[in-house]
Amino acid sequence: MEFGFTTAAYVVAAVLFILSLGGLSGQESAKRAVWYGIVGMALAVAATLVGPGSGYWLLSILLIAGGGAIGYQLATKVQMTQMPELVAAMHSLVGLAAVFVGFIAHFEMVRVAGLIAENANLAELGTFASLIAKKTGVELAILRVELFLGIFIGAITFTGSIIAYGKLAGKVDSAAKKLPGGHLLNITAAAISAVTLLMYFNSGAFFPLFIMTLAALFIGYHLIMGIGGADMPVVVSMLNSYSGWAAAAIGFSLGNDLLIVVGALVGSSGAILSYIMCKAMNRSFVSVILGGFGGPAGEQMAVEGEQIAIDVDGVATALEEADSVIIIPGYGMAVAQAQQNVAELTRRLRAKGKNVRFAIHPVAGRLPGHMNVLLAEAKVPYDIVMEMDEINDDFPETDVAIVIGSNDIVNPAAQDDPNSPIAGMPVLECWKAKQVFVSKRGQGTGYSGIENPLFFKENTRMFYGDAKASLDALLGKID
Amino acid sequence: MKIGTPKELFEGENRVAMTPASALELQKLGHECVIETKAGAAAGFSDKAYKDAGVEVVKTAAALWKAADIVAKVRVPDDGEMKRLSEGQTVVSFFSPVADEAKMAAAAKKGATVVAMEMIPRISRAQKMDALSSMANIAGYRAVIEAGNNFPRFFTGQITAAGKVPPAKVLVVGAGVAGLAAIGTSTSLGAITYAFDVRPEVAEQVESMGAEFVFLDFEEDQKDGAETGGYASVSSPEFAAAQLAKFREIAPDMDIVITTALIPNREAPELWTEDMVKSMKPGSVIVDLAAEKGGNCKMTVKDEKIVTDNGVTIIGYTDFPSRMAAQSSTLYATNIRHLMTDLTPEKDGVINHNMEDDVIRGATIAHAKEVTFPPPPPKVQAIAAKPKAAVVELTPEEKRAAETAAFKAQTKSQVTLIAVGAAVLLAIGLVAPASFMQHFIVFVLSIFIGFQVIWGVAHSLHTPLMAVTNAISSIIILGALMQIGSGSFLVILLAGLAVFMTGINIFGGFLVTRRMLAMFQKS
Repeated sequence: MEFGFTTAAYVVAAVLFILSLGGLSGQESAKRAVWYGIVGMALAVAATLVGPGSGYWLLSILLIAGGGAIGYQLATKVQMTQMPELVAAMHSLVGLAAVFVGFIAHFEMVRVAGLIAENANLAELGTFASLIAKKTGVELAILRVELFLGIFIGAITFTGSIIAYGKLAGKVDSAAKKLPGGHLLNITAAAISAVTLLMYFNSGAFFPLFIMTLAALFIGYHLIMGIGGADMPVVVSMLNSYSGWAAAAIGFSLGNDLLIVVGALVGSSGAILSYIMCKAMNRSFVSVILGGFGGPAGEQMAVEGEQIAIDVDGVATALEEADSVIIIPGYGMAVAQAQQNVAELTRRLRAKGKNVRFAIHPVAGRLPGHMNVLLAEAKVPYDIVMEMDEINDDFPETDVAIVIGSNDIVNPAAQDDPNSPIAGMPVLECWKAKQVFVSKRGQGTGYSGIENPLFFKENTRMFYGDAKASLDALLGKID
Repeated sequence: MKIGTPKELFEGENRVAMTPASALELQKLGHECVIETKAGAAAGFSDKAYKDAGVEVVKTAAALWKAADIVAKVRVPDDGEMKRLSEGQTVVSFFSPVADEAKMAAAAKKGATVVAMEMIPRISRAQKMDALSSMANIAGYRAVIEAGNNFPRFFTGQITAAGKVPPAKVLVVGAGVAGLAAIGTSTSLGAITYAFDVRPEVAEQVESMGAEFVFLDFEEDQKDGAETGGYASVSSPEFAAAQLAKFREIAPDMDIVITTALIPNREAPELWTEDMVKSMKPGSVIVDLAAEKGGNCKMTVKDEKIVTDNGVTIIGYTDFPSRMAAQSSTLYATNIRHLMTDLTPEKDGVINHNMEDDVIRGATIAHAKEVTFPPPPPKVQAIAAKPKAAVVELTPEEKRAAETAAFKAQTKSQVTLIAVGAAVLLAIGLVAPASFMQHFIVFVLSIFIGFQVIWGVAHSLHTPLMAVTNAISSIIILGALMQIGSGSFLVILLAGLAVFMTGINIFGGFLVTRRMLAMFQKS
């Protein structure tokens, strides 16, 4: 059964999806781009329901509606600070769906093979089954590899995303943890998968497929358990990429070009995001995946001096006198839910004619672009929110830099100390501002556990306390 | 503990080591404060102000020395005060272990503790108690003001209806704290300011204050100031000669010269010779901040202002901080208060004279019946950034060569990638059936489109990008929809679940993206 109009609809949908991603190059065009994506998806689903998927169309629509209702609830209820968790959780669903679809493909293949052996009437078969029935021996072998890969990637995505979700939501300890055996376990699991692939390729039996699924589930779990909280931006975008590749692999096995196109788009998108994140941390992708910060290359520079605290009046006075202010938010701001207070502070300072801007490090937060979304939620205009490269040269002319809940991304050791674990990572050079205030809960080190010499600089004052409470107090002093 | 401050006995000394404000802070540390009557009068602090701050006011110096466990002063105790010093008592004041060696020994013999303010080590942590710096800051400022007072012209250049006025040219020799303060004051008054220092690494600080650094045509490896605790060291005779030659060259142009060059525990170096003074224009002013140590100009008379035969005024006052007693007392009292904070770690009014602490150890010159000078070298050295290697400017030819090389390397890597990719595709094409290759071409092209499109996505939209890709990766729903109608119950169940989950994802992903994007607003 061929559906010409379905293919036509798929072409239109694919174009719409590409436009949808391309439109994200600017804030305004992005608002239109989402609609392209929605229309593309609606078109693709509708065309499939009318055409090749018409078998149980009522059940399908009911299920979509049910899922949609839950999705709607999630999307409207979620706090912007919880975006990383939500994204991770959704990836796990894509992964699981890929596993299911892969298994179905396997069952259908077995069934069709059985029917052919009995010489039964093949005209009665469903869309997918009849597709299989036409395949030659080599094509069937390739189909096995394709669906095997789809299940493999899908399973890794599923457990990996669940762990990532747990870590981001604070339900799983965010520190890097490995079972005894470490990467050897992963290698073993991967080896098992490779062996089962050979077995499955030759036999087409269910058992190797099942074993591989278990191994892949374990790899996803163990791989992400071994990656620390600070590397989560990379992990989330990596899983994003995997979910795309899983879709593409399934697309191959179903012979569906739209799935392949979209899968490849999503896959490359996630890969690029991972690359950008890694670059921003000056780490290789491999070292992130292998987990944890490597040991220091040598003796780290001892930090000298002391951390000098300042009270709210001191900060308020300095802000009143400053002409230009740069605020550097980090994960701590998200944790303390302080973005509204930051925004209010920004409004008041701007009303006084001060030049207030935000400096966003590419890996600030736990998700690519996390800080931008939080600030946007708090109605901070996006044209004063700058990228690191745009604003780094402006610090020497800045009166006050305020660091709110960030640590490693403002660590001067990355530039000064060649032995620091983060040596060479691009950082925001806030210490070049005339004065730096650091809003921080206590004297501890950041996620990476690296001492931050910024806190000991002469022009740095520590503004201890929960970011939200501190800013509340500060707002009381500035009108 | 009781902290007491007597009236300063030194002639013309207006400062006081405790202010009502610092007394309040000291009391927060659990100490009691006592002051001699009229001690703060010359600095503008009345007895009533002290009383209001909870300070006990006693009538005589004798009563004060008797009552106080810790005596905080400005000037080194004179002979009479040394007699009043008793065992177990602590004196905090300026106290030169070299010039006042006899007094230091006497205090040690008595069993008193002496904390010398000029011995506070120059490390970041101790800056808040560094009285030399805070006083030098005032001296530098006041030096410019005194110079202006004796200078018969404007500092700033003006073009007025009554004619054009050239700006004054000011030279500051020695860019320590006093020098930098003088530079700042002078530039803000509008003068063209030049500065010189034997430590070339301070050129950047000088320029940051708006002055021009006077470089010598001289090559020598200067000692890094950080090695000598942030102070200048003695320079070689050749260097000194080059320096004098430079000064001689610029002296006729200078209207005001402020010299601040001091080397710790040494006679001030002669930097401004008599012939330089003679070559200056009438009406020019020299302020010699090193007058106390003999002066950077040998014509300087300590504590006096003289006018030379050719009409150059030379000011040799040594009491600049005292001339601004209210300001300098406030800063000095704060230095003392910070020192007391370090001496009272528990904030319970109990002094813990921790001789393991670098700062306290360094400043204590007599303790427990022993002279404890000189101190061992501090464990922490003054921090100074190492001079960065200059970035080599590339010539246009080199730049072009580098660009060509980069272009070639890029071309090479791209050609290699394309060749390898094509070979791999061919290899796959040889074994795989045509139906697979059709899909594979679609796949490869999509990856290319993906890479092209995604690089253009704005950094700030990465989170929406992830949400949208998440939603559209649920396109996998098509697979489930196609399968749901074909086959057994198990197939329907699995496919149904897949449809359900992807349904969540599609709606959730798109909606949350829309929600996020709606929040991005322009100001």
